[in-house]
Amino acid sequence: MLKSKGHESVLAPIWNWRITAFAAALLFFVGILAISFGPVSLGFDQIIKTLFGLPGGLVGQDRTLLIDLRLPRALLAALVGAALATSGAVYQTVFRNPLADPYLLGAAAGAGLGATVALTSAGADLYSLLPIFSFVGAILAVLVSFFISGKFFAEPNSLLLSGIAVGSFATAVQTYLQQRNSSSLRPVYSWILGELTVANWQIVTWSTIYILIALTILITVSKQLDGLMLTDEEAYSLGINPNKLRVIAVVAATLATATAVSASGLIGFVGIVVPHLVRGITHRVTNRGLLTIALVGASFLVLADLGARTLLSPAELPIGVITAFVGAPFFLVVLRKKRLVNQ
Amino acid sequence: MFKVKAVLLKILVITFLVSIATTNQSQAAATAPKRIISLSPSATETLFAIGAGSQVIAVDDLSNYPSKAPISKLSAFSPNVEALLNYKPDLIILNADATKATEVKTALEKLNIKVFLERAPLDLSQAYLEITALGRATGKISGAQTVVSEMKSKISAAIKKGKVSKKVTFFHELDNTLYSATSDSFIGKVYRDFNLTNIADPAATADSAGYPQLQSEYIIKANPKIIFLSDAQYGESIATLSKRAGWNGIAAIKSKNVVALPEDIPSRWGPRLVDFYEFISTALSNVK
Repeated sequence: MLKSKGHESVLAPIWNWRITAFAAALLFFVGILAISFGPVSLGFDQIIKTLFGLPGGLVGQDRTLLIDLRLPRALLAALVGAALATSGAVYQTVFRNPLADPYLLGAAAGAGLGATVALTSAGADLYSLLPIFSFVGAILAVLVSFFISGKFFAEPNSLLLSGIAVGSFATAVQTYLQQRNSSSLRPVYSWILGELTVANWQIVTWSTIYILIALTILITVSKQLDGLMLTDEEAYSLGINPNKLRVIAVVAATLATATAVSASGLIGFVGIVVPHLVRGITHRVTNRGLLTIALVGASFLVLADLGARTLLSPAELPIGVITAFVGAPFFLVVLRKKRLVNQ
Repeated sequence: MFKVKAVLLKILVITFLVSIATTNQSQAAATAPKRIISLSPSATETLFAIGAGSQVIAVDDLSNYPSKAPISKLSAFSPNVEALLNYKPDLIILNADATKATEVKTALEKLNIKVFLERAPLDLSQAYLEITALGRATGKISGAQTVVSEMKSKISAAIKKGKVSKKVTFFHELDNTLYSATSDSFIGKVYRDFNLTNIADPAATADSAGYPQLQSEYIIKANPKIIFLSDAQYGESIATLSKRAGWNGIAAIKSKNVVALPEDIPSRWGPRLVDFYEFISTALSNVK
C-alpha cells in the first residue's frame, strides 16, 4: 500500500528498475536451461548456435525437436506464467483480497465447461476446437458474473459473490455432462490438471498476441491500480475513476487468463504464489512491480514445466502438480517471513 | 362323515405336495436368476454369448452390443439403487469401478438381491475367469465353457497368424495429449501377445495402472514403426498426426502404418476380444 507498511517502503523508492532487470535476466537463464533438457540430449553449444542463427547449429530432426517442440513449449510456459501471475496480482488489488486468484470470477469453471462441451459433443470436429471452447467459456462466465452483479460491480464483494455463483453453476453443468458422458472423464481430468504438452507455434502465436495486449494494458494502468487499494473516495481525490479502472483491469486480466487457460488447462497456484512471492521478497505492495511479477511468473512456470518433463521422463507429470507442490511450501515460508517483518 | 375326513386328508396331502414343489421351484430360481440387470457393457456381451440373454431384463446405457440387449437409461457409472429396484431384479452385475460400488452392493444385498461384482481384468486369463464366473452365477456353466474354449482357439489362431518375428515397435495413442498404455495394461498385454515392442514401456514406472503420458520428443526419438489410434473416433488420423511438429519423420507416418482402432471393442473384455485380436492380426499382416 502507499501508506507505510513495514519500515522499508517509507525510505526506499516505490519501485526500483534493478529488480525488474534481475527478473528479466532470471527468465532468460531459466529459458536457456529449459530448452537444454529433454529425453533427447542435444549439445549445449549447438543449441545456442541454432538459437542465434550461427553456423554449426543443429540440423534435421534435432533442429525440429528444438525449434518446433522445446522452444514453443518453453515460450508457452512463459506466456501462461506471466498471464496468470499478473492477472492474480491485479485481481488481488481489485478485490482488495490477498486470496484472489485469476480463476475467481468463474473463468476456470467457464473454461472447464467449455472444454467439457467440446469433449462430450457428438461431433468429432469439436475436439480440435477445445481451446476455442474453453476460451469462450471463460470469457462468458466472467461476463455473466459482471452482468449479474449489475451496477453493483462498484462493490468488489458483490462481483466476487456473483463470480462464485456463476462458477458453481458452470461446474454443476460440467459435472452433469461428465456423468452423462463418462468416457469424457479422463480427457477432461487431464485437461484440468494442466497441459503444456501440445504446445506448437500456432498456439504460441495467438497466445502471444492476446496475452501481450492484456499485459500491456495492465502494466500501463499499474500506477493507477495502486489507487484501488485505497477507499473509492481517496481514489477519486487522486484523479482516478475507480469503477472505470476496475472494469479495465478485470477485462484485461480476464483476456490474459482465458488465453492462458485455453492454451494449457487449469494451472493452479501461480496466480497466488508469484505476486505474494515478489511482494514478500521486495517488501513492496505496489502494482508498479507488475512487470516483475509477470517475469517471475514466466520463470516459475518455465521451471515447473522443466520439472514436469524431466522428473518422470519419458513420461510427463501434470504441471499443476509441480506448481502446487513447490509453490505451496515456498509460499508459506514467504508468508511466515512477512508476518515476522510486520510484527 | 368318513368321506369328508378322507377329502380333507387329500386336500392336506395335496397342499403339502404343492408347497414342496413350489419350494423346490424357488430354490431352482435362486440358483438360476431370471431377472438380471447388467451394469457393464463387457458383462452384457458375455451374458448374451453364453446363452443367458433371455434372463437379462435390462442393461446400462452404454451396453450397445449385442443389438438385442434391452438397453435402458440405467447408469453403470453411478448406479442408482431405487432405479434398479424398479425392475425387480434378482441378480445385478455391477462394475467394481462404479461410484460407491461397495455401498451399492451392500444396499442391494440387504434387499435380498444378488450382486455380481465385476472387476476389470488385468489380463486374458482373468477375462476368461470372469466369463466362467458369470456362467456359474447365471446357471450357464457349459455355455460359458464353450465360449471360453472357442475364444482360446480363435485368439491363438489370430496370434499365430499375426505374430511378428523381428523387433517391431509401436505407439498406442489414447488421446492427442499423448497418453499411452504400457505392457502392464490389459491392452498392452494384447500387443505383447503379438511380440510387438511397446515404446511406452520405459515410462511404466510413471503410472502403476499402465497409462502414462508420453512426451512428443520421446515418441519422435523412439520412432515407432506402427501407431495405433485409440482416438480415431475423436478425429485423429494420419493427416492430423503428420501436422504435429516433428512427427512427419516418424517411421509409422512415413510408411503410413497408422491404424485406427475400432470404437468400443478394445475396451470390452468379453467374447469380442476375439474380434480385437483378429483386428490387430489383420492390421499387422498389412504393415508395410
